[in-house]
Amino acid sequence: MIQVAHLVKSYGLGRPALADISFEIARGEVAFISGPSGAGKSTLLKLLFRQEEPSEGQIWIDGRNVTRLHSRAVAQLRRRIGLVFQEFRLLPHLTALDNIALAAQVAGASKRASRTRAYQLLRELGLKERYDASPFTLSGGEQQRVAIARALINDPAVLLADEPTGNVDAEATEEVMKLLLRLRERGATILIATHDRHMIERYGTRVLRLERGALIGDLARESGG
Amino acid sequence: MKIFSWTGLVFRQTGTSFRHLCWTHLLTAVTLAIALFVFGAFMLLQTNLEYLVRGWGEELQISAYLNNGLAEDRVGALMKRIETMPEVARARYISHAEARRDFQTALGTRSGLLDGLPADVLPASIEITLKPAERSETSVALLAAQLQDDRDVASVEYPQQWVEKLELVALVVGWAKWVFGGVLFLATFFVVRSTVRLALLTRRDEVEILQLVGAPEELIQAPFVLEGLIQGLVGAGLAVAALWGFYLLMQDQIALFGASLVPFGRLKFLPAERLALLVAIGLLLGTAGSLFSLRGFIRTWHASRAQF
Repeated sequence: MIQVAHLVKSYGLGRPALADISFEIARGEVAFISGPSGAGKSTLLKLLFRQEEPSEGQIWIDGRNVTRLHSRAVAQLRRRIGLVFQEFRLLPHLTALDNIALAAQVAGASKRASRTRAYQLLRELGLKERYDASPFTLSGGEQQRVAIARALINDPAVLLADEPTGNVDAEATEEVMKLLLRLRERGATILIATHDRHMIERYGTRVLRLERGALIGDLARESGG
Repeated sequence: MKIFSWTGLVFRQTGTSFRHLCWTHLLTAVTLAIALFVFGAFMLLQTNLEYLVRGWGEELQISAYLNNGLAEDRVGALMKRIETMPEVARARYISHAEARRDFQTALGTRSGLLDGLPADVLPASIEITLKPAERSETSVALLAAQLQDDRDVASVEYPQQWVEKLELVALVVGWAKWVFGGVLFLATFFVVRSTVRLALLTRRDEVEILQLVGAPEELIQAPFVLEGLIQGLVGAGLAVAALWGFYLLMQDQIALFGASLVPFGRLKFLPAERLALLVAIGLLLGTAGSLFSLRGFIRTWHASRAQF
């Protein structure tokens, strides 16, 4: 599902942010990218959803070479990828419901269908009472659940999450992880970047360890979570 | 299906931007309106100069003012003499009463100004229209001299020299509108560009989130282009309304002081094609400002992203 071959990302002259990274993640697999801050976790994710272009190497997602896509195809690719970020990235002037529905509308669903589906997701995530709340009035955990609902609304084949529990408390972390891993039941491939060891120990089935831009370990473990 | 969904999204985003940056958008529209008004005022002047030239050139060639108290038979004989001249297409006698009536009509609501003045305050005249082939400056001057020598004619006026001078003035005004308008449009273009840039900066997060959820560039850019178009349209609308007000004001002044200068004593408003030009320039400025701003913003954004 995700294939990465000899990936290099450099910014100027110094040490590359990513150096010769190669790995494969099968369809339906859940993998964690671990490593300290500055290891290159976020950079790797940005390259996967083409927010940035690699200096060298290739990335294939679902058989398509991501590194060779033109801008229109990049937009199409992102509609098939669910993205979750540490800082939630919700639009402050939209309600929780509209933040979620936005992704479906961008993918071409009508406003009514988008809102109906968004409401279903809010209900599934236990947030139906907060459907018209502004992101400002939601707790960190609630905001992340809304962000996850937005990532799920188009039934993505791939879910990429960058420190999804970085801004939520311990109780909410559990909840967020359960929600993310629920997508595995639908056959989606999930890649989560985190430096939280406890989370990896608890949920990690496969861990890609990055350090100073290099892949120093690819460990498959017994199923967690 | 996608197009309907996206259209709704674009309109909602544009509406949000107008709500958030209401005053900025309004000021931009007013700036646009001022530039378009100045350009439109030049066009109004040009239109009326052309109208004047056409009126003088095609309708009234020479006015021969008659001696006061000229007997009817002498007027008849003079008319005959004029009509038999080979250069003359037609001649029309305008009596004292008719001249007064025409002037009163031109004065409109201020026609009372003539009350109390003698009935023959305006001289009787003969308006002579020349055959098209005889309308050169030389022919008109020769005929005017010939008429001036007639013992029944007090004075002769012919606007031929003015027609040619006015044609030149109309031409100069036509060019001046592009020079002045061009400078103003350039300034306005930068104002629109700055407004859209401000809107883009205000909505930077929104643009980024839309990109992350897979919105194509057209969908991201469309609300900003629509904003530019609306600003252009509102600016043009305001300019046309102001020009109409200006036209009514001038019309009033012309009726009072210069009714005889313009054909039928009335000014002419901008014809449809010139109004369309004004609106088109407004739309073009709004759209171009948006597109250039977007291009610059996206270029800078890509560059800044690549650094982190």
